[in-house]
Amino acid sequence: MAAFLAIVISAAIVYTLIDGSVDFFGSPSVDILDFFTGTKWTPNGTEPRFGILPLLSGTILIAGGALVLSAPFGVGAAIYLSEFAGPKVRSIAKPVIELLAGIPSIVYGFFALLVISPIFQVYFGASYFNAASAIVVMAIMVLPIIVSVSDDAMKAVPRSMREASLSMGATRWETATKVVMPAASSGIMASILLGLARAIGETMIVVLAAGSVARLSFNPLGETQTMTSYIAQVATGDLPPGVAVSAAFAVGLVLFIMTYSVNSVAGRVVERIKKGSAPKHSEGKISRALNFIPNILLALVRRRTKIVDSQSFLRFRQMKGKIGVYFMGICLLMAGIFLIYLLGTVFAQGAGVINWQFLTKFPSYVPERAGIYPVIIGSIYLVGLTMLFAVPLGVGAATYLNEFARDTRFTRFLRRVIQNLAGVPSIVFGLVGLIIFSRLLDFGPSLLAGAMTLAIMCLPVIVVTTEEALRGVPSTFREAAQGLGATKWQTVKHHVLPNAVPGILTGTILSLSRAIGETAPILFIAAVFSKVAPSGIMDGFLALPVTIFYWTRQPNAEFHDLAAGTILVLLCILLTMNTLAIYIRHRAQSRRDW
Amino acid sequence: MLNIFSVNKSDDEKNAMSKNVFSTSGRLSIEKLNISYGSNHAVKNVCMSISPKSVTAFIGPSGCGKSTLLRAINRMNDEIDGCKIEGEIIWKGVNILGKDVDPVALRSKVGMVFQKPNPFPKSIFDNVAYGPRIHGINEKEELERIVEKSLKNSALWGEVENRLAESAMSLSGGQQQRLCIARALAVEPEVILMDEPCSALDPIATAKIEDLIEELKKNYTVIIVTHNMQQAARVSDHTGFMYLGELIEFGDTEQIFENPKEKLTENYITGRFG
Repeated sequence: MAAFLAIVISAAIVYTLIDGSVDFFGSPSVDILDFFTGTKWTPNGTEPRFGILPLLSGTILIAGGALVLSAPFGVGAAIYLSEFAGPKVRSIAKPVIELLAGIPSIVYGFFALLVISPIFQVYFGASYFNAASAIVVMAIMVLPIIVSVSDDAMKAVPRSMREASLSMGATRWETATKVVMPAASSGIMASILLGLARAIGETMIVVLAAGSVARLSFNPLGETQTMTSYIAQVATGDLPPGVAVSAAFAVGLVLFIMTYSVNSVAGRVVERIKKGSAPKHSEGKISRALNFIPNILLALVRRRTKIVDSQSFLRFRQMKGKIGVYFMGICLLMAGIFLIYLLGTVFAQGAGVINWQFLTKFPSYVPERAGIYPVIIGSIYLVGLTMLFAVPLGVGAATYLNEFARDTRFTRFLRRVIQNLAGVPSIVFGLVGLIIFSRLLDFGPSLLAGAMTLAIMCLPVIVVTTEEALRGVPSTFREAAQGLGATKWQTVKHHVLPNAVPGILTGTILSLSRAIGETAPILFIAAVFSKVAPSGIMDGFLALPVTIFYWTRQPNAEFHDLAAGTILVLLCILLTMNTLAIYIRHRAQSRRDW
Repeated sequence: MLNIFSVNKSDDEKNAMSKNVFSTSGRLSIEKLNISYGSNHAVKNVCMSISPKSVTAFIGPSGCGKSTLLRAINRMNDEIDGCKIEGEIIWKGVNILGKDVDPVALRSKVGMVFQKPNPFPKSIFDNVAYGPRIHGINEKEELERIVEKSLKNSALWGEVENRLAESAMSLSGGQQQRLCIARALAVEPEVILMDEPCSALDPIATAKIEDLIEELKKNYTVIIVTHNMQQAARVSDHTGFMYLGELIEFGDTEQIFENPKEKLTENYITGRFG
């Protein structure tokens, strides 16, 4: 039963987007042909034009740029992690990568606008809003995805392949680049695709750092607008109601289709790797690319002396490997340095504003008097409610899928739908929440509507992690219980679920910590300013990430400090949740006796 | 001291050393070898001398340390975290376990074939050409010559002659294993280590590999680890019996199987435990 929810949610998304798009294309000032081929996007002009090409070019510039930057670094770091790093480095690097992945995108947005953008302004003459800073910061944001998926893909290459290569007198570098990388190439491609989908769907960085002028240009120093940031612009009420607003749905539809297709391609590749089917062989291109830097350096050093004897050739190969490994190590190091820099700047800026008054007073337009008490309360209510909706449904759906449903075409289809839902850009969930919960169900801009929006966003993640936890329970337990005459339901209730609880809890906490940091989906619903904390579920509310967003957008530097302070509070909450998750996982692992 | 593997030697030293290469035999002398992983003492105080251009078999029950011993000879244990090795293996006058010996150089002289066939997910040709390529051979004709020769030596040429561009994964298990042998031969090693090369194969494929081993010992020193006592008796000239990390007995195969000196060896060979 619960599993049908996935289909209901998908249907709701599609309904919202198509309904809004029909509205949009039906209006007299819109021409469908012009929408797809027009080069002008001026929704609030006197003569509005809706050609999506500038938004597309902005999206491609930023997402593509971010990928061009982060793919080499990400894959490099993954090679280092999987092939060269000792257990010590791994034990430091893995949490760093996970931390980078856990930082909410609004924090990255803050960082892009207030730390990176000034650098581009000063040294490259960029405008206040510029694409370049969004590209750089987004590259950092997608890095963890690329690193962890590539690392998994390379770890999945059988050890025997490496041994075969080493036993023929290959260096470890040659083994990594000529055997492991090609064998893992499809997984590496998938990691890049997943990163791309994430970059295309990312909202907050772009909205904050890249500005709101849609231009058909690939100049990274100027302002640009992407599809997501246009939708966000509608959400923040910067546009006149009417066609400009319904245009958001058409844009959302295009965005949805784009990310959905990129994700399903990547998902299929990942699935194939998990099943362990033989990867396709792609010849030496990757290896050649990887050897590029060492080759150049060595060419400079060697001064064209011909290598004749095998001794110096061996030395040359060893050298090449060493240079290569150092470069890969540097890739990883950069991620660490960046994390420290990010946390450092936020702390330096925000630590000053945190005091008792800040935590207990209400927001104010006077920065000195502003506090975030109702914001914290709003966020806590919001996440609590989200949990109330998402956890029973998610766990129920996963239990059904894993324990009761047979492996049919239909369940396989369901699984794929759920997986793809997990990759839908969060801003699209915002549109859905607005239409379905706020308008259709008439909850208005209330806590209830916000929580439900976040719940449908969390649901796929909870389903996937719960299923994994259930699969971890050995099937012998089920057989033993059923062998004693227990019904299927009793088996699941008494033996499977209790043993899967730690896994389910960790997954839930992690997905909720994502919910608490999400800005885009509740941008439509959350209030900008409020004097009171919410007292019931139908009240309007404030939330930490949304408040950070509005404060970061203020021109006034005092508000930026407030935003940094709020970020610190948010990060503290996240850190607590993550520590809790890690603790539960750790305790369960050490206690497990099977 | 002779050191053909060391990377950092001056030309003078190398010249002085290369004169000795031919005067020393290719005998591998293992002396007081101890190997442990963490608290597991896998190989205990093993001493033995392996003659060149012959087949030496290590037999013994699972977990007796025979594979670990084998892997020490081309330093594959270096790749395992927490593995500690003491003792010496002298080959051509050099302790190949010494710090100054580069394992990469050593492995191009001491090749290895593994328990399960492990071809790369590349074409048949590229599998065999992988070794020569990393060692710096790039001319097409030269590579083709090496590939053909190696495949002929591993008795696979006739079966794959016309499908060299196909994926190695399309071969049968026995063919894959012979491909792996060809791949090892292509590097032109002097010693070939085989770690239960037939354990994943059917009897017909096993017979082919055994014939091949017989053929290989004309030009190579072959050291084989096997579970299968009949196999050891069939293919090897010398046999070492290991039990719980110790080398219990080592001698001519005929003597070990027909007239073992140790009670333990006799019990194992007659199938009383194992």
